[in-house]
Amino acid sequence: MKRVAVALGLVFVLGAPFEALAQERPDFSGTWKFNQGKSTPGIAGNTPIVPFPSQIVVKQTSSELYVESTSVRQAPLTVVFKLDGSKVTVQAPRGITETGEARFDGATLIVTTRRSFSSPAGETVVDFRETWRLNGSVLSIEKTRTQSGDSATETAVYDKV
Amino acid sequence: MRALATLSCGFLLAASLPAAAHHSFSAVYDGNKPITLRGTVSKLGWSNPHAHIYVDVKGPDGKVVTWEIESAGATNLQRAGIRKEDFIGTEVIVKGFLAKDGTAAANASSFTLVQTKKEFVSEEPTTP
Repeated sequence: MKRVAVALGLVFVLGAPFEALAQERPDFSGTWKFNQGKSTPGIAGNTPIVPFPSQIVVKQTSSELYVESTSVRQAPLTVVFKLDGSKVTVQAPRGITETGEARFDGATLIVTTRRSFSSPAGETVVDFRETWRLNGSVLSIEKTRTQSGDSATETAVYDKV
Repeated sequence: MRALATLSCGFLLAASLPAAAHHSFSAVYDGNKPITLRGTVSKLGWSNPHAHIYVDVKGPDGKVVTWEIESAGATNLQRAGIRKEDFIGTEVIVKGFLAKDGTAAANASSFTLVQTKKEFVSEEPTTP
């Protein structure tokens, strides 16, 4: 009887963190369309201070996150992030090198990417840090762009299609 | 008669210039290549529909490169409280997007006058 109780206790203790983990991780899967009216003003126009895609397609599994980002008149960027936070390569247009990492921090997803390309100013590096939050069928992404010691943050809101 | 024809040609050419100057963003600039530049304004094209700000930027090798920055037109800048006199010799931080042809040219999303911390943000009513 005592042995059964210990075994049940162990199952409960070991199982609890996994259950908590499963509860904390929201599923971002779906097609997300940019909602300009709910987003911060620095995103508007052809030349946003912090660029965001107009549509994002996400497919999430327990270990990976597939993200396809499309912007108007731009080639789409696709990436499969490993949710253990390991570094992956973003499929970017010719002349651009981009790597990134994604990991969950409780119910939020943290995505960091580094984009580099050559320009008349030399090798140019831009760092992006995104915090994804899900609220029902609304996805908000707070994104910080850092470049040459200067940074700017904007928040984009997406509605599920 | 010849003078009239010359005048008409001149008028037609002049009229076509602003239209040619107003181009689509994606035809000239790369939305995937954001760039931040810090330098001193050396020359100004105070015009519409776009103003052109020439900024001397020191590269990592110490060499100074003059960048041509396209921004909102003079009328919009004036509306935002930015005067022509605010620019020349002033240090600015420009956030924008690099030209597709690889030249030292960019389209400004915003620029900040370093000394006065005055910031101008370019906004156009289109989706990203």
